[in-house]
Amino acid sequence: MIRRFLERRRYMREHRFTHAHLSAYLDKGLDEAEARRVEEHASICPQCKRVLATLRRTLTGLRELHGEPKVDVADGVIEALRKRS
Amino acid sequence: MTDPLPRALGAKRDAKLRSMGGRAAGVEATLVDRARSGDRLAFEELVRRHADRLYAVILRFTADDDEAQEVTQETFLRAWRSIGNFEGRSRFFTWIYRIGINEAKRRAARRAPEPVLSLDDEPVPEAPDWSEAPQTRFEQSELREVLERAVRALPVEYRAPLILRDVEGLSTAEAAEVVELGEAAFKSRLHRARLAVRRAVDEHLAGAKR
Repeated sequence: MIRRFLERRRYMREHRFTHAHLSAYLDKGLDEAEARRVEEHASICPQCKRVLATLRRTLTGLRELHGEPKVDVADGVIEALRKRS
Repeated sequence: MTDPLPRALGAKRDAKLRSMGGRAAGVEATLVDRARSGDRLAFEELVRRHADRLYAVILRFTADDDEAQEVTQETFLRAWRSIGNFEGRSRFFTWIYRIGINEAKRRAARRAPEPVLSLDDEPVPEAPDWSEAPQTRFEQSELREVLERAVRALPVEYRAPLILRDVEGLSTAEAAEVVELGEAAFKSRLHRARLAVRRAVDEHLAGAKR
């Protein structure tokens, strides 16, 4: 029973660590040992595995929002600058 | 064994890109120096380099295109008036982004409050798996729309880090400098913002499934 309690406590500690470091993991901002902790926990925790996978997809989707604006604003700004200075 | 030639070519290309980046930074520093001594044409060149990107950032804080154009214009007018005070300790574009985002936030505070995305991160029951890239153009545009909506619904102090880092692709150090946060605080806000946006997609898909 004590062993199970300790295992559960360790699992929850790794769960909190993983959840808090998912962004840093995806940004490659963790050292090797920390990255391994995230990977090991995500391999046995369905919730963290899912959040990691969908967070990765979120970041790809956010990068794809970067696009060229449809209007050319520079000319308008320059015109306003010339008028007001 | 890996072929050393492509690696060598890659290193050569990286060195060339670094040198081009360095040259561009040098040209920009010269333009900033000239603008600081009152050269309006140099400042206009800085406007041409940065206005469109600044506008794209501001657009995600304002009510519409017209307000975003006004804020962009106001930002550069303010920058021109105070460029003498710009000490060059940060890069020009981080300074401009900071002025622009602060102006956009000031205007947003005057508007009626909009619904704000919760930063709570409880799992969403019945959310389907969407970790794979969308298969069809419809799914792609739906995801894009949900993400756009979720980003706009983030509280402004969380929205700016996410837009600068994840949409605009600034480095953590550059984006943290724009929003005037230390790197640790910046990373923490960015993480919460990303989780909230991710959860918003979960909620949208769980709602669609029901």
